[in-house]
Amino acid sequence: MGMLDQLMYGFSIALTPENLLYVFIGVLAGTVIGILPGLGPMSAIALMIPIAYGMDPTSAIIMLAGVYYGAIFGGSTSSILLNAPGVAGTVATSFDGYPMALKGQAGKALAIAAISSFVGGTIGVVGLMAIAPSLASFAVSFGPTEYFALMVLGLTAVVSLGGRNLTKGLISAVVGVIIALVGIDSQTAITRFTFDRPELYEGVEFLIVALGVFALAEVLVMLSRRGKGGVRKSVTSLRLSRGELARITPPALRSSVLGFFTGVLPGAGATVASFLAYSAEKRIARDGKTFGQGNMKGVAAPEAANNAAAVGSFVPLMTLGVPGSGTTAILLGALMVLGVQPGPTMLTDDPGMFWGVVASMYLGTVVLLVLNLPLIPVFAKVLNTPRTMLLPLVVVFCVVGVYGLSFSVFDLGLLAAFGVIGFLMRRNDFPAAPLILGLILGGLMETNMRRALQISGGEWSVFVTEPISAGLLALAALSLLPSLVRALRRRPSAGTPAEVPAPADGPEEQAPTPRG
Amino acid sequence: MSLLTKTHVGPGTPGSGTFRRAPGFRAAAVAAALPLLLAACGGTDDGATGGTAEDGTWAPTQAIEITAPAATGGGWDTLARTSARLLEEEGLVDHSPQVVNKPGAGGAIGWGYIANNPGDPHKLFVTSPPILLVPMAGDSDYDHDNFTPIARLATDYMVYLVAADSDIETFADLAEQVESGALSVGGGSGPGSMDHVALAGALRAAGADATQANYIPFDGGGEALTSLLGGHVDAAVVGVGEALGMLESGDLRAVGVSSAERVDVVAEVPTLVEQDIDFTFDIWRGVMGPTDLTEPQIAYHETLFADLMETEAWKEESARLGWTDAYQDSEEFGAFLDDTRGEFAEILTEVGLQ
Repeated sequence: MGMLDQLMYGFSIALTPENLLYVFIGVLAGTVIGILPGLGPMSAIALMIPIAYGMDPTSAIIMLAGVYYGAIFGGSTSSILLNAPGVAGTVATSFDGYPMALKGQAGKALAIAAISSFVGGTIGVVGLMAIAPSLASFAVSFGPTEYFALMVLGLTAVVSLGGRNLTKGLISAVVGVIIALVGIDSQTAITRFTFDRPELYEGVEFLIVALGVFALAEVLVMLSRRGKGGVRKSVTSLRLSRGELARITPPALRSSVLGFFTGVLPGAGATVASFLAYSAEKRIARDGKTFGQGNMKGVAAPEAANNAAAVGSFVPLMTLGVPGSGTTAILLGALMVLGVQPGPTMLTDDPGMFWGVVASMYLGTVVLLVLNLPLIPVFAKVLNTPRTMLLPLVVVFCVVGVYGLSFSVFDLGLLAAFGVIGFLMRRNDFPAAPLILGLILGGLMETNMRRALQISGGEWSVFVTEPISAGLLALAALSLLPSLVRALRRRPSAGTPAEVPAPADGPEEQAPTPRG
Repeated sequence: MSLLTKTHVGPGTPGSGTFRRAPGFRAAAVAAALPLLLAACGGTDDGATGGTAEDGTWAPTQAIEITAPAATGGGWDTLARTSARLLEEEGLVDHSPQVVNKPGAGGAIGWGYIANNPGDPHKLFVTSPPILLVPMAGDSDYDHDNFTPIARLATDYMVYLVAADSDIETFADLAEQVESGALSVGGGSGPGSMDHVALAGALRAAGADATQANYIPFDGGGEALTSLLGGHVDAAVVGVGEALGMLESGDLRAVGVSSAERVDVVAEVPTLVEQDIDFTFDIWRGVMGPTDLTEPQIAYHETLFADLMETEAWKEESARLGWTDAYQDSEEFGAFLDDTRGEFAEILTEVGLQ
């Protein structure tokens, strides 16, 4: 195979001083934008399109791609330090990253995130280089039926994300699914739960909910404690011991592979990938019970997965000309403005661009690591900021981030509402993670289920006659088995007074106020 | 084929490459290109909305704001930003136009914003078929009658696709099999929106019962195309631009395009009209403003966009984006919108969506 030759050719393009500069500008801008809550890679790329215009197309895509994976890389910083996810793909990182920061291990958490991101990015690029052309057929093998099954598998993670009280976890997940239903239904064009507010026609933006129930709720919790309790310890070093590195390596490697393949699917993306990886690792890990309390594997898994997925999403873009996510859709728009038509013929017609971009991703990932590791102590200093300054700053970041998404005051109201909901959930021991999971996967699950049924003419059997779908559903059932067995065994002896509601039933209409 | 009907403000509009990326020359370009407009402004500046000069012409007194009723990166945003950038680079305006994104509710949020500024000649917005279809679905408080048409600029077309190895050869074959209920057809937008109307209208014109079509809405043409590639749906209807890559590679085959004459970029694809199916569907793009604009204000904007479309830069840019020039002035555009709405209403009623 002439792959190495082609890669060398790619490096010869990526290593020109000009393109090196663009890699650097791209990842730097991406990291900074990723750190700011709310401002994600989508708006970053949209902002940079005017700059990219007039550049050589290869240089432009090298820079814009750098913005994308740079933002995913940087997004973990605010997830870990402030519980305010910088980008959607790093929500899962806050599950264990923020508890680690509270325990005084912010430096370690940031270092793990950086190293795992590097591993994920590198494995993603190797995958992109080695098997991209043959992956096109994998990407198209997923239709509505298969996506439905994948989302079901993802939703079973509620059981593991739910924490101590399964019932509360399930309630939280159902509320998340209900929020996903808000808006104009894409299959019938009927409005659901919009209360005639046009602002709700396109649904509730995921990041608003995430910032509300995580960041704002955290601010409210701190306020209610009036500074008492939960005192943060000063930041320890970012050095990882050899033992710690050994502990995070297997999850990071597994999650990179899982993340890459999830990213390749046009209907999933970095966010779905990070959740799948997190819940998979939680199930596999012997110390899975400590996930959510600051387990370093819980930081490594989603960070490796989301970076690998970001790279993986370039597979459908470059081999099919089809965007695999909102961000790559904008990237596709930018490419077309630049006069490049990505598609199945790109690899043969314009190998310079493909290999140049692949090589630039190798470089960009290294640059990100080199750029981020020395900055960790600086970032971590954020935690030494006095509360009286830090809390208002978090609120400002959330408000600016949300307003920047839509320029809508209504959305700020939503943000505040979800902050209060998140606070009440925390107060009453409802975990927030299942709500986020239900929100992300629930909407995709519903849409794809109805598409699949519409194609099959209402025949439910498609979900088990299609092999990929059947396999994924079997895996989902299997993953529920241990918890079911445990629940059944516990019930007669423990005699829980509260009755357990049937969890599998469809979400009923209920006010989205999760009060016990 | 150029449909330009307007004459031009200044001959020798600086459309050559020299000016395109050289902001330093902007002042010079403005000075060269706009003597007429500057004269029109001459000293009669009378406040916020700008005054009409004694000779009955009007010119803006501040930056024109072009609203894209959608988020950054989409079709409307591309049109708004492309025109704003070219208007400035070509020196056609004094003040750099501002692009404002008002996303939400399929455009209704942005339309509400414009509708709340009646008579403001500095607020324009970019538009396309959803300005007709979204209100028809009952999802907007405002429809096209609540705005002043300025100009139609360019258009793009729909293409009807099947897998390369499909036994369907013509649109008539497709219509026949779709009518029998055997085929599912993917599209990039919701029921009752562009892609669905383009499918239903073509089926109707081919003599098929459009209510029998199993239309599967996807989130964007790209998703519909991958589903077709993977064999999950049997056919797809998407914009020409979205399908270009897969048509070139031969993975998918087009059985018809919705234009009146063949489209350059997919010259081998026959139109529906050629196949004796009397149906065309334009994904037209244009510019509108709020109500209560005066004649001189409308005339200014019409001419401005007509001039823009004459520049080399615009031609280069719209070729890249796969657009075909389809200029109409305010009056023609208004009549076109009324006609098109009538046609859409018929199609939607027929498929039971109205």
